[in-house]
Amino acid sequence: MEMTKQVEEALYQVIDPELGINIVDLGLVYQINVNETNDVHVQMTLTTPGCPLHDSIVSGAEAMIYGIDEVNDVHVELVWHPAWSPEKMSSRAKEMLM
Amino acid sequence: MIPQMQTQTKTETNIKLPLAFILFGLVSFALAQSLLWMNTSALSNGIFRMPDLWMAAHFLLLGWAVMVVMGAMYQLVPVAFLTPIWNEKFGFLQFFVTAIGVAGLSIALSVRPGVAIFAGVLTVIGILMFLFQIAMTLLKQEKVNVMTWFVGSALVFFLLTIVAGLTLTWNLAFGTIRNYDAFFKSHLIFGLTGWFTLLIFGFSYKMVPMFSLSHGFSMKWAKPALGSYVSGLIVLVVAVWIGTWPFTIIGWGLLWLGFTGYALDMKEIIKKRIKKKLDQPFIFSLIAIGFGWLLHTTALLMNVLQVTNATVWSWLVYLYIMIWIIFSIMGYLYKIVPFLWWTHKYSGSVGKKEVPTLKAMTQEKWGTILFTTMTFGVIGLAVTAMIGLPVLTFTSQGILTIASALYVISIARVLTR
Repeated sequence: MEMTKQVEEALYQVIDPELGINIVDLGLVYQINVNETNDVHVQMTLTTPGCPLHDSIVSGAEAMIYGIDEVNDVHVELVWHPAWSPEKMSSRAKEMLM
Repeated sequence: MIPQMQTQTKTETNIKLPLAFILFGLVSFALAQSLLWMNTSALSNGIFRMPDLWMAAHFLLLGWAVMVVMGAMYQLVPVAFLTPIWNEKFGFLQFFVTAIGVAGLSIALSVRPGVAIFAGVLTVIGILMFLFQIAMTLLKQEKVNVMTWFVGSALVFFLLTIVAGLTLTWNLAFGTIRNYDAFFKSHLIFGLTGWFTLLIFGFSYKMVPMFSLSHGFSMKWAKPALGSYVSGLIVLVVAVWIGTWPFTIIGWGLLWLGFTGYALDMKEIIKKRIKKKLDQPFIFSLIAIGFGWLLHTTALLMNVLQVTNATVWSWLVYLYIMIWIIFSIMGYLYKIVPFLWWTHKYSGSVGKKEVPTLKAMTQEKWGTILFTTMTFGVIGLAVTAMIGLPVLTFTSQGILTIASALYVISIARVLTR
């Protein structure tokens, strides 16, 4: 499987403990880039800038990516622009919140 | 390849610091309710100003409410304002000074009111240390927002509360203060309506959208609400000192407008939520907003109708403390403590092994039963005491005491998960 896809699959395992939904379905992951030396750069956001689970989610994402064989270095970058909006959620996540 | 990763970064506070405050608060809460139960006969007769009830009131407001709020702020300020606590070691020192001061003051008010001033001074030092800590932390904040203004105003009123409180304990020791009644009323206004209410307003603007996953709300009433509420507080204190009736109405009118603006913003936030099924303890905090609005409306109407009966006003103050301030704190604490413990125990395990959700850390059903029981207990207590049914008053306070003890146990159980 392509490395980018593997990273995405791994991020499906990172669950927001407040909502009980993974960060990909929540629409928090903006970009996944893997270079030729298998360094992974993930750009993601959180539902709110003051989210108290900030550190847990970022370190959790890093841990999941490091769990993939052949991954060299991992950098999870937290960005606030563009801001997260409910439209970014998958229909599965929306259903879970109903 | 799994190199050593950074699991503790700038927004996390050492869990022992907020937890120390919260545990002290929980013990004080059970203690205060037990003391109130033992003194139900005085409550039934509308006697509030007596040494044992001073002890209960200070364990309730300083030991429980203030200590829990301090603990919660040590955890919430770094995440809500995106800035680390100025000095954690100073925070631990502040805990010990405040804890000894508050326990000493509460006990001395009952046992030897004349020496309460000494423990009072220690309490004031502890609170000043806290104010300094938070002020230094907020000063580091890069972008000031409306929440900063709410919390900043609350801190100023906290300072005024302890100045007025210290003056009152000085009077108990040396008896040289004139205008005791005006100082006492100012102490209540600064503490209950100023410090606690403005703080709950400020943090609600962060926590209500966060716990309901709300999006696209305006917060259009936030600034007018702050302006109106602070103006109301100032006018009300002026009214207390010059004793002119229309000032009291204007003061309560402004407070009512401020509270209504805040409540309208909360209503909009909840209306625009994405998480449709809200957690039960959080709903309890939202219900407390409704209670708070009703109490402000009642106070305004009582002023308009010129109700001056001291017993009725005393019960209104009691209800203000219990079903607005304490119920708000209790609901939020059911979210805050699991988060604290989860961060301590499971934060480093995310992505490495399966970790529970925050909801799984508490027994939500148990919380709902306790919250409902307490609501009936508090309202039952106030109503039966006002209409003169002492047996039912005693029973209501008994229910409240047992429910409070069970609440403390249910929160403490989170720490075993």
